[in-house]
Amino acid sequence: MGTVPLDGGRAGGEGVATVPTPTAARPAPGTADPAPPTPRPASRGRREPLPYILVIPSLVALGALFAYPVFLLFRMSFQQLGFGELVRRVTIWTGVDNYTELLGDGEFWQVVWRTLAFTAVCVLLTMALGTGIGLLLVKLGKRMRIGVSISLVLAWAIPIVTATTLWQWMFDSTYGVVNWALGTPGHDWFATGLSTFGVIVIIIVWQAVPFVAFTVQAGVLTIPEEYYEAARMDGAGPVRAFRAVTVPILRPILTVLAFLSTIWDFKVFTQVWAVRQGGPDGATVTLPIYLYDVGIASSRYGLAAAGAVVMVAILAVAMVLYLRHMLKTELDG
Amino acid sequence: MIRTWSKVWPNALALLVILFFAFPAYWMLRTAFLPTIDIQSDPPVFVPTSPTFDHFVTAVERPGFWLYVRNSLFVTLTAVVLSTVTALLAAVAVARFRFRGRKAYLVLILAVQLAPFEALFIPYFLVFRQFDLLDRLPALILVYFVSILPFTIWTLRGFVAAVPAELEEAALVDGCTRWQAFRRVVLPLLGPGLVATSIFGFITAWNEYLYAFVFMRNEDNYTLPVWLATFRTAFGDDWGGAMAGSVLFTLPVLIFFLIVQRRMVGGLTAGAVKG
Repeated sequence: MGTVPLDGGRAGGEGVATVPTPTAARPAPGTADPAPPTPRPASRGRREPLPYILVIPSLVALGALFAYPVFLLFRMSFQQLGFGELVRRVTIWTGVDNYTELLGDGEFWQVVWRTLAFTAVCVLLTMALGTGIGLLLVKLGKRMRIGVSISLVLAWAIPIVTATTLWQWMFDSTYGVVNWALGTPGHDWFATGLSTFGVIVIIIVWQAVPFVAFTVQAGVLTIPEEYYEAARMDGAGPVRAFRAVTVPILRPILTVLAFLSTIWDFKVFTQVWAVRQGGPDGATVTLPIYLYDVGIASSRYGLAAAGAVVMVAILAVAMVLYLRHMLKTELDG
Repeated sequence: MIRTWSKVWPNALALLVILFFAFPAYWMLRTAFLPTIDIQSDPPVFVPTSPTFDHFVTAVERPGFWLYVRNSLFVTLTAVVLSTVTALLAAVAVARFRFRGRKAYLVLILAVQLAPFEALFIPYFLVFRQFDLLDRLPALILVYFVSILPFTIWTLRGFVAAVPAELEEAALVDGCTRWQAFRRVVLPLLGPGLVATSIFGFITAWNEYLYAFVFMRNEDNYTLPVWLATFRTAFGDDWGGAMAGSVLFTLPVLIFFLIVQRRMVGGLTAGAVKG
């Protein structure tokens, strides 16, 4: 795990790439020591019971509090399970009825497509702005860099619920500063689905960009200056050097960041819910909100479980790609 | 001309970036300290000339505020302690030993880290209902514990691995038992790592909204995020109070975040550039 000191210039940045572990014993700034990612196991017997004993508590916790609910989720998705069934303690197996109902429901598909489009917009904006700002950070002088870094950290650190409250206040129709700045007094930003989504996207991107920007910055800082010198000596201009040196080295970082952003943005609940609870008129209902409306608010647990399974299945695509990527690089050996 | 331009544009862009990312925080502070009359003035007041603590008093004196602070602290701290202890054991196992299933275990941890807990509130709802935990704080503790556990294991593993095994072996040679070697040599060196990881867990649990909102129906069991989210709607458009409440809720996170920020970049992407 790398560090991005607020005042870190090229020399001070240790970067994501070369420092895989967050530690007090990190290499001194400036040294690019590619330590192996896998821990160095002590030379001890292979048949010891101790490691198994040590992982037992975490396995029990994950089993009882994660695997079991996941199993329940799948099981419930094949049941007709509502408040009545719950109270009477009966189990009614209905096969794939929930899935048929869900997948035959135009509203559900609308929610799915809406969520996908919403995710795509969030990820594209986050990646574009994050990459741009990350590259900008490297270019800036020290004072400006500290200024930008501090403002990024502020946005990053602010809790989600605070951020949603705050941005709603800024977009308030009567006294909001946005309407004042744009000269549109009294404009209601939450009147239509599209503009409500606009506000939600701004909130999410505003909070997501800093992580991407800092990671990109850290990635660029790991590129040895010699690469650029070599490119220059080969007659490459700045644009050519950027394409030949920076882009290939950043590409894997950007890929992982894009996967992570996709996974995170697809399942966003708090920002969407806190802004208008999926309103106006259900126009900003995304999948997690839908699951809440169907599952908790309408007590149709079985149907909502099927919806959750569909959501996990869609997410699994991004997750598998990400895991494959991580496993190839992080765990070998 | 071209040369000056190439000097000017990064700084101009940087100013825009600063404006976009820092302005909301500034606006929150200024609203929190501004008398209500000034909050509603047009054009807006940018610098409070007569700052007031009225909104903070309003926020703190709202019924239940201290109860919610206590709930949030209780839930968050318990979850963090539980997960740090559990994770430390596991981290030592995967960082210090080679054992069959180690790789599978790591893959499991990495995968669970990405698990969409947003899709799991329905089964949790039923489990907790069955065990009569619904609307009780321990339910939140359990969910927060298990949702920060994978990250904590993954990160602590790095910290443990970074403590040279030779130190521990030297202690063993000097006659320490393995437990003594761990407690006297490894544990002190893990201090910063434990602090950083638990702070991360703290921030995650402190900010969590979905589960607190779905499970805690009784107002007495609200946590601060749920309270904050209802602030505006419950009391009309009291933006001054809402911003003061936001500042109070944000402060501990901001302080903690500044401590660990340097360590947070890179963990999830660490593998990306080593291929």
